Amino acid sequence: MSLRRHLPHYLMIAPFMILFAAFFLYPILSGLYYSFFDWNGVGTPNYVGLANYQSIVGSRDFTRAMTNLAQYIVITVPLGILIALALALLVDSFTGRWAGFFRNAYFMPVVLPAFLAATIWRWIYAPNFGLLNMILGWFGVRSINFLNDTGTMLYALIAVDVWVSAGFNMVIILAGLKNIPMELYEAARLDGASKWQQIVHVTIPMLGPVLFFVFTYGLISAMQVFDKPWLLTGSSFTSYGGRRHALLFPVMDMMGRAFGGVRFGEAAAYGFILTVAIVAVTAFMFALRAWRERQ
Amino acid sequence: MKTIIRHCARLAGAAALIVAGMISTAAAEDVTLEYWVYSDFAQGDALALQQEFIKEFTAKHPGVKINITGKGDDDLTAGQVAGAVSGNLPDVFMNSQSVGAELVKVKALANIYDKWMAMPEEYRAQFDKDALEGCMAKPGELYCLPYTGFGSLLFRNLTVLQKAGIDTSKPPATWDEWLEQMKKVKQAGMYAIPDETLIFNSIAEIYATSGNTKSWGFNWDNHTTRIDPKIMAKVLGKFVDMVPLNSGTSRNDQATKDLFISNQLAFHTVGPWVNPTYEQAAKNSGLKYDFVLIPGDEPGKTGGIRSYEMVGVAPGKHEDLAFQFAAFITEKTQMARWAKLLARYNANAAAMADPEVSALPLIKTSVDAAHGAMDVAAPYFVGAVPNCYNSIVIDMASATADGEYTPEEGAKQMISELNDCLAK
Repeated sequence: MSLRRHLPHYLMIAPFMILFAAFFLYPILSGLYYSFFDWNGVGTPNYVGLANYQSIVGSRDFTRAMTNLAQYIVITVPLGILIALALALLVDSFTGRWAGFFRNAYFMPVVLPAFLAATIWRWIYAPNFGLLNMILGWFGVRSINFLNDTGTMLYALIAVDVWVSAGFNMVIILAGLKNIPMELYEAARLDGASKWQQIVHVTIPMLGPVLFFVFTYGLISAMQVFDKPWLLTGSSFTSYGGRRHALLFPVMDMMGRAFGGVRFGEAAAYGFILTVAIVAVTAFMFALRAWRERQ
Repeated sequence: MKTIIRHCARLAGAAALIVAGMISTAAAEDVTLEYWVYSDFAQGDALALQQEFIKEFTAKHPGVKINITGKGDDDLTAGQVAGAVSGNLPDVFMNSQSVGAELVKVKALANIYDKWMAMPEEYRAQFDKDALEGCMAKPGELYCLPYTGFGSLLFRNLTVLQKAGIDTSKPPATWDEWLEQMKKVKQAGMYAIPDETLIFNSIAEIYATSGNTKSWGFNWDNHTTRIDPKIMAKVLGKFVDMVPLNSGTSRNDQATKDLFISNQLAFHTVGPWVNPTYEQAAKNSGLKYDFVLIPGDEPGKTGGIRSYEMVGVAPGKHEDLAFQFAAFITEKTQMARWAKLLARYNANAAAMADPEVSALPLIKTSVDAAHGAMDVAAPYFVGAVPNCYNSIVIDMASATADGEYTPEEGAKQMISELNDCLAK
């Protein structure tokens, strides 16, 4: 009876469920299966138990990749959101043609292909001739090797990442800003709230769900960072991560093990570790939000 | 009337049989080969010549069609590995010998030894012996036909050297002479050389000024590195000496080429592929440069590395035809045309000896450079080099140059870590 009643609903979600099973669930489960095997992708897989996981967790590259990732996330996610919020507030203060112009201008880096963005930034960061070093040179600062100096490499990447992600986050936050009732600002103004107090006590609380989405999405994206550090360091499957692995990240390490070392079992284990980490972080974020709402 | 009808019916039947026969013959002969090449071989003049090769080959093989696709280095490897896994390999493809072992491991490369041995001696004798040996993992196994290649060269900016008071008529004969020139360049306020510790190949190029193929690469029997600790300590000392002299850019950075073209960098150790850029700069902005052999520790010894790109054939139903095509494009006539077009060295020694080819200065110097250079990752096609290997070499060279280790400590630590990496 219940099945008959819900059959149309099941049928309606069936296309998604089939595609989800084929392109998400199956690869994840298949990855989990192969993570217990020594497998080069072609020959017969040899069962090795947890050896792949032990090999990954015990490797220096994994430690380095995870340390880099932690530093990267701690800076890039909050910084990216802060800048996006500032841009959204700025664009929201404009009206008419200028609002459209700035919104499009800030969104431009999002639609730029990663290799093009990396090429532009490699030119900006280039020692001696790069745009940034030329500007710094006007102030008497000696040329900085942003992409080869281990002290600056991570920050150079973060700047590129924030440049790209700020536009995307800004558009989402801007949509959130448009949904905040104007009455709240009027009431705040009548109560004598300054512009800053309006942002802190009206805008940010009202943007809660939007900021939660932007933060969670940013966190998940940051955990999978790959293309920008790969391109900025001119990496290949046999050599990646830049000088002294200052820009080595987990997905790069996983790709190197898969296509550089042809160790698909180990790469599958790496992928599964990352999947579990991403799911755990996402679940934690949702639990935290649910707990805060209950409070 | 009946007879006429009977004859017509017979004729129609015969015609139908002929048409059916033609269709089935065409179906049996229609073959499409997928041919993957490096992306720079799939554009401009290089693509036009490749298409000419294809046209000539298909003219002799009716029913055969060849699709050429250009791919970047990583895309070639990833595509071939993924193709082997999914059973959808290109039939003929290029790649570097240094990834050969990975491709053999995933069964992306056919052992073409028997087909090779069936070729006339005249064809087999055309190839450079060292390049060919690179394709032979063991007796009875041949996994590629060597194709293009390079020996690293020392590009010299003559304006910078002259400003530093250096006589440019004779290139430096030894490492000591070269280092002295680098110091003079720095004293004159310019950069001497890129940071050679940033790229695995540039580290190998400097290692080769003291070492050779026998003391570089891998002992696959016991999974250890062949790097000699004494030689490596000496080489790491060279990197320390070069720290105050270098530009901080890698040999592959665009910034390095910009410095060279704008007369701020004296030396650039790299393959011949930068020559078109410098040639253009010579025409456009008056850059004065030349290219010579990288000097070694003693007179007569040269540094630098050599490496070859290969043409491989995938195992499968088109293997024979794919080999015929691979043999056709690597044959002397085609390789000489290829060399003349790109002014680039290749593994066909007979083509390199062609008077029109050997008269090209870049090829002449490249032939000498390749003969004196060190193989970058030999032996090939035996073991897949773990990805930790290159990063350890780069890390330890950088760390020693940064002063974290003495050259002796750095060499010892590097070799210990490399052996651990290979053992895993």
